[in-house]
Amino acid sequence: MDTLITCSVNGLVLSAIYILVALGFSLQLSIMGIFNFAHGAIYMVGAYVTYGLSVGLGLNPWVSLLLSVILVGAFGLFVERFCFRPFQSQITRMIVMAIALILILQTAVEVTLGGVTRALPAFVPGILRVGFISVDAERIFTFCIGAVLMASMTYLIQKTKIGQQMLAVAQDAEGAALQGIDTHRTAATATVIACATAALSGSLMATIFSMNPFMGDNILLKAIQVTILSGIGSIGGILAGGLIMGLLNAFLPVLTEASIGELITILIVILILLIRPKGLFGYELF
Amino acid sequence: MPIGSSPKQRKRITSIVFYATIIIFLALLPQLGLPVYPMHTLIGVFIWIIVASSLRLLDLSGQGSIGHAAFMAIGAYTSGILAKFLGWSPWITMPIGVLATGVIAFLVAIPFTRVRGIYFTMVSLFFGIGVLAVNQVFSKFTGGYSGIGSIPMLFGYNKTPYYYFCLALLVICLSIIYRMEHSRIGLTWKAVAQSHAVASSIGINEAWQRILCLGVSCCIAGIAGVAYAHYYSLLTQETFSFNTSINVFVYMTVGGPRYFAGPILGTAALILIPEQLRSLREYVPFIFAGILLIVLFLMPQGLAGLPDQFRQRFARSPKVKSLPAEEGVSKRAP
Repeated sequence: MDTLITCSVNGLVLSAIYILVALGFSLQLSIMGIFNFAHGAIYMVGAYVTYGLSVGLGLNPWVSLLLSVILVGAFGLFVERFCFRPFQSQITRMIVMAIALILILQTAVEVTLGGVTRALPAFVPGILRVGFISVDAERIFTFCIGAVLMASMTYLIQKTKIGQQMLAVAQDAEGAALQGIDTHRTAATATVIACATAALSGSLMATIFSMNPFMGDNILLKAIQVTILSGIGSIGGILAGGLIMGLLNAFLPVLTEASIGELITILIVILILLIRPKGLFGYELF
Repeated sequence: MPIGSSPKQRKRITSIVFYATIIIFLALLPQLGLPVYPMHTLIGVFIWIIVASSLRLLDLSGQGSIGHAAFMAIGAYTSGILAKFLGWSPWITMPIGVLATGVIAFLVAIPFTRVRGIYFTMVSLFFGIGVLAVNQVFSKFTGGYSGIGSIPMLFGYNKTPYYYFCLALLVICLSIIYRMEHSRIGLTWKAVAQSHAVASSIGINEAWQRILCLGVSCCIAGIAGVAYAHYYSLLTQETFSFNTSINVFVYMTVGGPRYFAGPILGTAALILIPEQLRSLREYVPFIFAGILLIVLFLMPQGLAGLPDQFRQRFARSPKVKSLPAEEGVSKRAP
């Protein structure tokens, strides 16, 4: 019973983070048609900026979290304009660009702070006790932030003008441009949102687990898995896909060995790709 | 008609002479007193050129893969485990390793033909990670993260025989790739890459051609894998990780996937230049990234496309053949 509840809580927290990162990844994929392999590196940079501001400069952790989100969001603007826009619809060169970005970001962090594993102090320290169950308050907080952000992202995309513009560009960029939508501005907005959420989820994840310059590699793979599972361009699909992935990742290591659990997840993803390339809820991109 | 009279023949003879000169030069290097460490580096370069060229062969049929190191891993681990635990001679286990790679590649290619373009790339990515996960599951044999060490070596600790062995492998593999590319099969693969619908309409069995291409390409990657296993005599999880696959992909793209010389130049540049600047220690990845950025922004056709690029820029007459649009995963629709 205890294990079940711990696993569920962990699964939900993991799901929230996966969904946040995958949302950003999927937004960039559907709007710009780019596989942003550097998304994991940006997630890592977000965590390190928060660390640098709160531990290094001694700022209030909440202020540094906010500053990190803003700074990395602004960095997203730069990334979209100078790294992605010149290579739109050239996937091969796009991937190389992302690799260069990853190398630069990871090495920059490694050179300045060293490759050692660090921990970010919790934003909400303490343990919540409900009856006989006790959970880290930080995990509950992360889940709440994730849920609020997911709800606001869904609202943003479904109800506001900019969100509708994003959906239009994702469906057909030329058609959207003909309707007077500025596709470049839409792409920039999507990248900024993606980078900001990545920075937020990176900081939250660094408080629960630890952080090192290569923490983004794993989460990037998870984001790709969620995107494939749910299908491209479907917000509801990403919520479902992220939940499935998070729970799988929380329960499988308990039920079997960790390595077998990993293998099962990958087999599921490969099978989905082979049998239903558009994912459970999405549409085919190309 | 005498040999060398048509421009096409002349171009071909020039390129043969060019490649022969380079090969003879490389073959003479140990005789001219090449120190041990550069020789070690060059052996690595030879192995990775084989892998990058085989990846380009796969790319010819429109299958961009970012999991190619997995096939190398299958060959390397098969040969390494057989040689280490059963005590067989590497000369027997190496062909077995290559064969195993080919068989597995053919088997996985059959379901992989269901997906095209970017979806194939994704499947290859997760296949690569899946092979690593299998490696973890059977860590009793493969050693898991720490890997297997002290695999029997081919020629002991003297590096010169390895140098000639890998150079010979390189020449053989590149000749096979060159012949395949310029034969009917190569043309068929290019047709499949450009449009699978049109290719099918003129009687090309698209699925079979793609399976064949994956099989051949992965066999060649397997050859590089077994050479790696019995030269370095240490295989770990990191050796064939996702990063390795991505690196091979980058070697090919930076060199220029449209050109036969592309993967060769790309691999040589991206291994040798950071190697020369080794003294910068932790800043070396910046050099690597810098090369990538320079090539991306200044050389759209890759390193091997530089002559064409210059010819196009400084052409006097407008009759110069214009470059076709970039090939690769991006252009195709399923």
